[in-house]
Amino acid sequence: MRFATRSFLLSFGPFALLLLGSFTAVQILVQHAVRDQLVASLRQTHESIARMQSKNDARDSRLLRILGENSTLKAGLQLLLAAPSSREARSTVEDQLREMTETLGFDFLMISDPGGKPLAGVFRVANQLAPIDFSRTHAPLRGLLTLGESAYQIGSTSIDQGEENLGTLSIGERLDFSGFSTPVVLEHHGEAVESTLPGVSRAEIQSSLRACGQSSDCEVRLRGDTYVSASMNSLSFGEGYSIRTFQNLDVANRPVQNALHAVFLVAGVGAILAALIMSAVSSRSIVKPIAALVDRLRESEKTGVLPEFRALATSIQEIGELTESFNQAGAAIREGRRTLQRAYVEFVGSLASALDARDPYTAGHSRRVSEYSLAIGRQLGLDAEQLDELRIGALLHDIGKIGIPDKVLQKPGALTNEEFALLRQHPTIGRRILEGVKGFHPYLPVVELHHENWNGKGYPRGLERTDTPLQARIVKIADAYDAMTSDRPYRPGMSDEEAVRRLEEASGTEFDPVIVKAFVASGVHAEHAPDESRSLRNLSSAIEIASGQTAPKEGIPSGEPSK
Amino acid sequence: MPFMVGSTLRSVICVALAAVSVVQAADIQGTIVVQRKLTKRRVTPAMGSYDRAAAVDLKTDSAEDPLSFERERVVVYLEGDLPSQTGSITAEIVQQNRRFFPDTLWIPAGSTVSFPNLDPIFHNVFSLSKPKEFDLGNYAKDHTRTVVFPKPGVVYVNCHLHPNMSAAIIITPNRWGAKAATDGKFTIADVPRGTYTIVAWHKSAGVFRQRVAVDDKNVAVSFFIPIGEDPMARKN
Repeated sequence: MRFATRSFLLSFGPFALLLLGSFTAVQILVQHAVRDQLVASLRQTHESIARMQSKNDARDSRLLRILGENSTLKAGLQLLLAAPSSREARSTVEDQLREMTETLGFDFLMISDPGGKPLAGVFRVANQLAPIDFSRTHAPLRGLLTLGESAYQIGSTSIDQGEENLGTLSIGERLDFSGFSTPVVLEHHGEAVESTLPGVSRAEIQSSLRACGQSSDCEVRLRGDTYVSASMNSLSFGEGYSIRTFQNLDVANRPVQNALHAVFLVAGVGAILAALIMSAVSSRSIVKPIAALVDRLRESEKTGVLPEFRALATSIQEIGELTESFNQAGAAIREGRRTLQRAYVEFVGSLASALDARDPYTAGHSRRVSEYSLAIGRQLGLDAEQLDELRIGALLHDIGKIGIPDKVLQKPGALTNEEFALLRQHPTIGRRILEGVKGFHPYLPVVELHHENWNGKGYPRGLERTDTPLQARIVKIADAYDAMTSDRPYRPGMSDEEAVRRLEEASGTEFDPVIVKAFVASGVHAEHAPDESRSLRNLSSAIEIASGQTAPKEGIPSGEPSK
Repeated sequence: MPFMVGSTLRSVICVALAAVSVVQAADIQGTIVVQRKLTKRRVTPAMGSYDRAAAVDLKTDSAEDPLSFERERVVVYLEGDLPSQTGSITAEIVQQNRRFFPDTLWIPAGSTVSFPNLDPIFHNVFSLSKPKEFDLGNYAKDHTRTVVFPKPGVVYVNCHLHPNMSAAIIITPNRWGAKAATDGKFTIADVPRGTYTIVAWHKSAGVFRQRVAVDDKNVAVSFFIPIGEDPMARKN
């Protein structure tokens, strides 16, 4: 995962969660607010309707008092009281009531005797005024009455003749829901009697209202819409009646929800963009120096050098620290490498010493060859690395002699052909020894090829001229010189002039003439070929003589400056 | 209408009797001209034909000519030196469909009027008029009550239970009177020679009087109701 992606996800994730959380919270709050407002508006409607209703009641009661003084009605009531069982008397009064109903525009008229027992009444049904069958209907003197499909709101006044109470006149009007701006349901003992909810059957309303129980306001689902419903308690409609008004919550919520959605969509897109930009900028400020660091590391991987980084162009403290610690690590690695190198060199030196120690006559040979080679290399203007290779290669050049038996190596007399062949294997053996160690690879050519001749008559491969690597050619000359100037058990060492003369003689056949010239020009041989080696040599031979060891014999095959 | 036939029959008998007693006599023939509608009809519609918001005076019968309705409700009679307390009759005003029928009745003083109830509901017929106050009480269908009207004058009859029901009975001092027909024509037959005041009475238009001299020839009289609006004069 790229850093930019990661930082985007990390910065946008909490953003998104925050947005989602606040969105949900706001939505819930708004829904509650809308719902509360709807309930409040329902209550307000209820109150205004109750006020209107009480005003109407007052007006109706005044009208009723006038109607109670209607002499015709009194006459009819008296007639009915005198002949309570007379069908004709009843229809007479019903007829009067009908006429009054017509005149006054009521929907329900009833008279009862002083005990409250209904005597006669008419009500409007299907635009006709029909008599009421009181054997099946109990009509209250106040409140609501359901007759047929309609509910009537009833008020009453007493009919008096002087001091005597003749009975009660009740008038009623169909409960009119047109005053309600919202859908209304009239309930009677939990049963939906009338409803102005469009397209919803009363059975459906009843079943969904059952969930409300006794609570005054509740939410109901009708035909996929959520309504908030409030029951109207401020009006006394008589026993068992209550009115519920409804508001469509979904419709009320929709515009608010739409606005909210729009706002949150904008906020969401804005948050994504902000997170993108922020993560791009922040990751760029981090990724850029890191990429530069990586580039340099790749480069150093190729070149093998671990340079010190200068401070990267960044103001980020962490990146600065990273660079610094990287530099420290690099320094530590370089230090380690140097230590390792030193260890190499020491190891190589001890190897060379070990080799030299096998034969007192060759003591210091490897170190001297190394010194001569270094001098030649300097004379030829080699660079530090080449010189280093040369120096160490020269130290190791005879390492293969470890694999040559002592009897061959230290044989004082002339070697047989077999022995000689064995001896000639030492460059190859040396290569084999060193080739297993990766760190020695640069010195392999010197070890393997320091016996090749300029004219191609050397061994082990018989390479010609410059086919032999430069270092190997250098070491060949240094080796030959040291072998010639060193004492052997069978002969004393040559003088420097003699040795140089011999080198110059073989220049162009055995040796690279350029290197011979360089050797001579370096002057290392003159300042070398020290007596000190000779005195050591003499000392050691004296010890050998004293210990009764056989003295080495004279005579070595020509062209073999060294074994 | 049986009672009308009866009344006419009696009138014919009276006329015959008069013809025997009085030597010199003639008929007064007249016309009632009603210029415009005078009565605001307050008619209770029949049961079952109620309509909301169409209150009670409604139901003007478009089949009925309002002027002939008015003409029919004009009673004409003679005042003057004529023998009284003769020719008393028995008449009838029925209560049907919450209406009195007829709602205008002429009778000579001393006549008897019966009030049968043909409606399936109670009626309570009463009058508070000076010439004859009465209250017949509540009575149901197919019951009847009778009242004798000994004094001349106008008696307005109402029903306690139905304020829209009303009728007028014109009781004349003598038997020379008549109710106009729908075309406004009336005849007061067998009037003895002499000069009289002929009176036309309409419930809302009031009383109209004219002098009329009767000898052995028939006399023609015209009334223009209301006064001053002679259609002839207007035509000229």
